[in-house]
Amino acid sequence: MLRLSTALVMVLALPATAEDFKFAVTTDPQTMDPHAVNSAPVLGFLNNVYEGLVRRGKDMSIEPSLATSWEPIGDGAGWRFNLREGVTFQDGSAFNADDVIFSYERASSEQADTSSWFAPVSEVVKVDEFTVDILTTAPNPIFPDSIANWMMMDSGWAEANNAVRPDKDQGNYATLNANGTGPFQLVSREPDLRTVLEPHAGWWGEVEHNLTRVEMTPIQNPATALAALLSGDVDFVNPVPIQDVERLKGNPDVSVVQGVEARVIMLGFDQQEGAAESGQGAADMFLDPRAREAVAKAINVPAILQTIMRGNAEVASQLVDPSMRGYSTANAAPYAFDAEEARRLAEEAGLTGQTIAFKCPNDRYLNDEAVCQAITAMLAQAGMDVSLDTMPVSNYWPELRADNFDMYLLGWSPGTLDAEHPIRFLAATPNEEARLGSWNFGSYSNARVDELLPQIQSEIDDSARQAMLDEVAAILQDDVAYVPLYVEPLVWGVRSGVELTQRSDNFFILRWVTVNQG
Amino acid sequence: MLSFIIKRVGQSILVLLITGLVAFSMFTFVGDPIDNMLGQERTMEDVERLRQQLGLDQPFIVQYYRFLEQAVQGNFGVSYRQGRPVAEILLERAPATLELAAVSGIFAIVLGIALGVFTAIRRDGVAANLIMSASLIGVSLPTFLIGILLIYLFSVELGWLPSFGRGETVKIGGWSTGFLTESGLKALILPSITLGLYQMTLIMRLVRSEMLEVLRQDYIRFAKARGLSDRVINFRHALKNTMVPVITVIGLQLGSIIAFAIITETVFQWPGVGLLFINAIQFVDIPVMAAYLMLISVMFVGINLLVDILYAFIDPRLRVAA
Amino acid sequence: MTRFFESDIFYAFRSSPVAIVSAIVTALLVLSAVLAPLIAPTNPFDPASLNLMNGFTPPMEPNAFTGDSFFLGTDDQGRDVFSTILYGLRISLFVGFAAVLFAMILGILLGLLSGYVGGWTETIIMRAADVQLTFPSILVAMLIFGIAKGITPVEYRDQMAIWVLILAIGLSDWVQFARVVRGATLVEKSKDYVAAARLIGRSPLTIMIRHILPNVLSPVLVIATISLALAIIAEATLSFLGVGAPPTQPSLGTLIRIGQGFLFSGEWWILFFPACTLLALALAVNLLGDWLRDALNPRLR
Repeated sequence: MLRLSTALVMVLALPATAEDFKFAVTTDPQTMDPHAVNSAPVLGFLNNVYEGLVRRGKDMSIEPSLATSWEPIGDGAGWRFNLREGVTFQDGSAFNADDVIFSYERASSEQADTSSWFAPVSEVVKVDEFTVDILTTAPNPIFPDSIANWMMMDSGWAEANNAVRPDKDQGNYATLNANGTGPFQLVSREPDLRTVLEPHAGWWGEVEHNLTRVEMTPIQNPATALAALLSGDVDFVNPVPIQDVERLKGNPDVSVVQGVEARVIMLGFDQQEGAAESGQGAADMFLDPRAREAVAKAINVPAILQTIMRGNAEVASQLVDPSMRGYSTANAAPYAFDAEEARRLAEEAGLTGQTIAFKCPNDRYLNDEAVCQAITAMLAQAGMDVSLDTMPVSNYWPELRADNFDMYLLGWSPGTLDAEHPIRFLAATPNEEARLGSWNFGSYSNARVDELLPQIQSEIDDSARQAMLDEVAAILQDDVAYVPLYVEPLVWGVRSGVELTQRSDNFFILRWVTVNQG
Repeated sequence: MLSFIIKRVGQSILVLLITGLVAFSMFTFVGDPIDNMLGQERTMEDVERLRQQLGLDQPFIVQYYRFLEQAVQGNFGVSYRQGRPVAEILLERAPATLELAAVSGIFAIVLGIALGVFTAIRRDGVAANLIMSASLIGVSLPTFLIGILLIYLFSVELGWLPSFGRGETVKIGGWSTGFLTESGLKALILPSITLGLYQMTLIMRLVRSEMLEVLRQDYIRFAKARGLSDRVINFRHALKNTMVPVITVIGLQLGSIIAFAIITETVFQWPGVGLLFINAIQFVDIPVMAAYLMLISVMFVGINLLVDILYAFIDPRLRVAA
Repeated sequence: MTRFFESDIFYAFRSSPVAIVSAIVTALLVLSAVLAPLIAPTNPFDPASLNLMNGFTPPMEPNAFTGDSFFLGTDDQGRDVFSTILYGLRISLFVGFAAVLFAMILGILLGLLSGYVGGWTETIIMRAADVQLTFPSILVAMLIFGIAKGITPVEYRDQMAIWVLILAIGLSDWVQFARVVRGATLVEKSKDYVAAARLIGRSPLTIMIRHILPNVLSPVLVIATISLALAIIAEATLSFLGVGAPPTQPSLGTLIRIGQGFLFSGEWWILFFPACTLLALALAVNLLGDWLRDALNPRLR
């Protein structure tokens, strides 16, 4: 018996202090490798462990991180980054230009999921120990904006642990371990169970938080997560179901932090000629712009926001929200709700009498299924017959890719927080080779938009760039390419006494968290 | 006898192979893992490359054959979601499910037998009838709802018990146990009740009806006539004789407790293999789904095989029939 | 008919208050489901009739925007909860009955066949049952969903879901029918009257249907009743896991899934009333099944 008890290894026997912070997320990050999976849960979490040359501040603006300054070089040939000196990785080794080169090679490799960030890059050159030049194939004014999540990894650590390239399907040392320069270091990682962080003593920045230990637990069922918050088992949950916001506000033990996510929810349409042949959608019903306009006018977005979203979201007019770079103030008016006009347009376009196959995910966006149901009812009231099909997101994307839809719901969050991003992915005519329109499931196509896109991408002058973005926004609105509905709200729940900053990319940044002992 | 066992084992292996075949033909329909593995900025090229790398471009028969080839060598592949060997993940998760199943099984057996005996002895009593009716409520609501209601009552409103997870665990070798810490034990209560309620009702009703039947038998009447006390009659004679069918049913229910754990684990975020499986379905993590299904198959088929062989030993007539 | 009223079963029924009450409750629920279009004040399956602004109206209170009042309140879409329950009950009962019928027919056929014919037929059927038991019903449902998706036109997907549920639940349920029928068939087969029937040249089919089947019907009836309750609950569970009836035509299970999202937010009626209806239905059917088992078991009388 004695021998048995000495064999016991006690884990987690730490005393629970106020600075011992626990939080719940809906999706466990798939990996601890910052270059293996380009998804919000992974990048959001790893932002606490790894750092990039630049980072986003509390207001999402780009600010210095591992680079102290940067400037364009040549005549649009690229960018020069001056690196911060005296930075150490969590294992103690120093950060320098070689790590940047290594991280570029790693993050842009074929095995990496982040390689598309580096499509405009031709070469990364080490100028000296603390200076690098990143050369681009064409002038690229927003390049620093697009690399806020490109995280630096120590070349020596990766080589020593055989993790020089990310490995998505087999996994390697970097899948379960991390060594960044960030304010927190990974202490233990049990996928799907708990991931524990502790402050990195040698961090270069000024410490704002007062956390001594952070534990992240995935809880998928939002009701269970909320119960955990209410019963004090966790200190933070994201998201809080919209319907519970009012109730939580009346609870002195918890508080709700609300904002908008940088994500526009919209409807897309099958606009491909002869789509009926490839998929199973009815013949070309949304080729006529009047049919799309009929849908746009039939939907009373404010009513949806007031009831289903409980007044916690804002109407959208275009593919980006007002907080993003390149938002078109000239096109800020959303489609006006007009059921009679919608009915007339639907009849004119021959939409009446046809069954619209409407696809919708039921576990991707906040209350997505309820919103789609409400849209179905509103279209029915304008004389349109809709067959709603909701499904989990793992079935949803393949369904869209197979063209099995007439109409679908999509939420888009531009990684660069810039209006060019949705144009490239959603509005450009799909083109495999040029890597354009890869999420344009409905094959919307407009020659002028295709013509403007490369000009926008390389325009250095801000007002000329904005003029072109305005033109595209106007075209998309006139064509009813998509029907933007609303901006996805962000609702976080925390125990009282916790102070934090909510950023609109829905990343939970731990270095801004303070726990007040009460 | 030996030929019977060999034949029966052969059939069982065939069943396992067919189960695997059916499973693999299903995976195509569950969804596409590629979309979950690549980010928003992936291109069709990336998709095709990864599909080829994972062998998903092959027909399911080929995928199945590859799985079998690896599985015989003890290699269940690497999880698409976690990028770790499936066998390692399953071993890590198994203790959680087994402990939950054990506790809820014990809860179901002990309470089921006790209440079954009680309701049989007091057949016409008010309390017994009340218990009989109330026990049906437990099987007349879906498990997930019972779980959610228990969380609402005991974690949120009363704050007595944790709302999710296993609490603190202690590692003994490769086995992580929740039995040795207070929070671990507390965390077991609600999920065990949720999972065991159905089996408890089943056992209780079975014990009751078997008891009623035995109590009617002549030897019990003789015992009564001989003046033996009720207690001795009820427990020494009657209960003992009801145990054979009860034990058979308990054995068969063991498998279904583990299969049913999927729902309970989902509601309570219990980190066992059931939750792993649900996550795998959502992510279309084919290696994990395949390994889990094969594991469950081996378990069910194994129990069936064992029962059949045992029966054949007990009742030789059945050997001919099979 | 008079034979039925004079039978032991009817006598036992008349003398059991529990049986009478549960029979009445079951009958009432089935009746209101059948007559839903006549009883329900609104048709919740007609999207054109819904007003979103009526959403979340508490029971018996006028809505803050529209002034409309609803007996049991409204859900998040502004649907009258009372009407939705009636229509949902219809779907749940239909799915339940159809799934059990499907399982029963399949189970009886395979059970008779394996019990009477024996040999390889029996082996194949019983091993198929083993395979079946291995698969969680959620996976069976997903498989059938997947296949059905491939063959139904995209506009009819929402109507397909109910048939998929019936198939999925029915398929995961046939095994116990088959096992019981097989067991009973093995017993009956060795009895003299079957041997006699065989001697006078009756075909195996006639023997199975005319002689053996009537003798296995009472256990089948008991299993069917209990399976009905289980099927209704299984449908609810599948809905919880996201593969149930579509939200535009909700079953009781879908209503409970939607309603549990409002447990903490104070709109208790969206969960409470459908859950109570499901409980009443399943409880009544279970009690009926319970009583039937005792009543049909001659050893207990």
